[in-house]
Amino acid sequence: MLEFDALRKSFGANQVLDGVSFAVRPGSMFGFCGSNGAGKTTTMRIAMGLVRAEAGDVRWQGRALDQEARRRIGYMPEERGLYPKMKVGEQIAYFGRLHGMDAAAASRASAEWVERLGLGERRNDAVEKLSLGNQQRVQLAAALVSGPEVLILDEPFSGLDPIGVDSLAEALLDQSRAGVPVVFSSHQLDLVERLCDSVGILARGRMVATGTVDELRRREAGRLLRVVVPDAGPQWAAGIPGVRVVSEQAGDTVLELAGDTDDQTVLAAALGTGRVTHFAWQQPTLVELFRGAVAAPALQEVAA
Amino acid sequence: MSASRTPGSAGLVRLVAAREISARLRDKNFIISSVVILVVLLGAMGMQVALGSGGDSTRIGLVGGSAALGEALEAQGEALDVDVTVVAVDDEDAARTAIEEDEVDGVLVAEGAGEPELLVEQSADGALQSVVQGAVAQLALADQLAAAGVSDLELPQVGVTALDPDADQDGQRVGMAIIGVSLLYGLLILFGQFVAQGVVEEKSSRVVELLLATMRPWQLLAGKIIGLGLLGLAQIVLIVVIGVAGALALDIVDIPGELVGTAVAVVAWFVLAYAFYAAIFAVTASLVSRQEDLNTVVMPTIMVLVVAFVVGIQAASEPEGTLAVITSYVPGLSPMVMPVRQAAGSVAAWELVLSAALMIAAIVLVVRLGGRVYAAALLRTSGKVKMREALRAERV
Repeated sequence: MLEFDALRKSFGANQVLDGVSFAVRPGSMFGFCGSNGAGKTTTMRIAMGLVRAEAGDVRWQGRALDQEARRRIGYMPEERGLYPKMKVGEQIAYFGRLHGMDAAAASRASAEWVERLGLGERRNDAVEKLSLGNQQRVQLAAALVSGPEVLILDEPFSGLDPIGVDSLAEALLDQSRAGVPVVFSSHQLDLVERLCDSVGILARGRMVATGTVDELRRREAGRLLRVVVPDAGPQWAAGIPGVRVVSEQAGDTVLELAGDTDDQTVLAAALGTGRVTHFAWQQPTLVELFRGAVAAPALQEVAA
Repeated sequence: MSASRTPGSAGLVRLVAAREISARLRDKNFIISSVVILVVLLGAMGMQVALGSGGDSTRIGLVGGSAALGEALEAQGEALDVDVTVVAVDDEDAARTAIEEDEVDGVLVAEGAGEPELLVEQSADGALQSVVQGAVAQLALADQLAAAGVSDLELPQVGVTALDPDADQDGQRVGMAIIGVSLLYGLLILFGQFVAQGVVEEKSSRVVELLLATMRPWQLLAGKIIGLGLLGLAQIVLIVVIGVAGALALDIVDIPGELVGTAVAVVAWFVLAYAFYAAIFAVTASLVSRQEDLNTVVMPTIMVLVVAFVVGIQAASEPEGTLAVITSYVPGLSPMVMPVRQAAGSVAAWELVLSAALMIAAIVLVVRLGGRVYAAALLRTSGKVKMREALRAERV
């Protein structure tokens, strides 16, 4: 279990993390979402020992991470970094050695990853001569070369074309199937939804939602009902008790029902207007969940 | 999961150092600068030899003639300050061959009763002709005087009293020290820049974040400084060994013992000076994130090096002057001044120990304070970090 436990951190007057906690099971993939500046990078940097938390800690298998444990973590920083003039193969092997491999094992693993990521022909080229996409692959190889027990990746998908995204996703799924807990942050929520077993949404230094995508959906589900009534006049649903109209556009209506409102009452009202072409509880996408989760506290703040 | 063992501090420092060395050995600029330094050094020695050998060394072949003639030639050479070597040659044919093959500068044929003859390739230079002419004339004069019954001729000897018998050697000592200090200065600037560029390269390429996820800042700093330092040491030792061996082989200096002493002093001071300046270069370079900003932050350090160099050169002309004596204790300046004082005259052992101890104390201070600045500044990749801010920052 990789546990982030009640992390707190402020830079000056700016409270960046205010009790961030979540856990990642071995073999599962955790998608870390949040708006820009929400504190995702800071959380990951704390795990890697690059920033010191004011309170809380990060534990792997029950023990707080120290420098030695961190060598068994594969890390990809948000700002990609490689030695521009060093050759691809040597560079990957060097990072293997920094993670504790001996020279022979490191160069073997480096050769293997170079092949696996399709960089075989570029093995002896300096990194600066590679395209951005290929540099990203080298970066991934540097994180994976030592066969890490844990992967922490900050925005690994940013800047990749769709094919690059697919091959990176495949590589991460491989790792997670092999039992490695994978944490990655991303703004590409469709990707997070597709890949991740669980998701955490960070807003203003707090985890506003964690759980599997289904759990999050269930929490939101049962509240939003989409009804399409082409013949209805405007404001047709306004009079139903316990119902709030979220949006309405030419009969395509999204309604929010209070907890005890019977959906059959709504159906009856809808049938009263004429044809009903669609009537279903809405499955919110992660994007909608994200908007809801990130926006909610802000509304409260406004209300207060 | 993997068969990896955890590298300790020493292992990490060694890895970083090895990477620095292999990266530099493949760097064209480094190779070129090394070759240029060696070529300049060899060229300077070659010029010494060429300038020095003009009339100073002359080989004269001798066919026939008495042993007295050979001695007379050498005596004459000594009187005229020409280094004469007399080589016995069998006959005139052998003499011609020897001249054609440049084994000798000329051959004096003094066989039979005829007038002695000087064989040369094209023309006899002034020195050769005066030596031979003088020797032959002296011998003939002695013969004729003996024949006339005059012997034991008493000629007054002019006594010579040297006011400064070692002036020439003093000059050589100071010359050696100046060459040594120039070498020290050049290599300190070169390797200091390497260290500074390396630090900024890691920051500007952002690779430093990945590195610091596996090691502490001081391990990175130590590996970088030690790796480049070993390379610098190898280079100065190579240059010094070639220089000293060349100077000894070509017989440029009259005081080989002191040449070796000065060479050892220069190498030893390089080690101390490098540790000091490399740490300063690394720390100041860590304050910026772009190569373009590097010049402004390393300029003060380079100015200190220039001042040290100028003071060192000044010390050569006045090694016991107040300025030289004081600066030979000031850490940072001492590595450029003390070798000059050591070469030029008597520096007491305690002076040397004191100066080195102050330097080492300064290195410890710079490494401790600088290490904090370096650690705090490394991960700040936006703009320029202020030294005071970095010192105050938390330690990760």
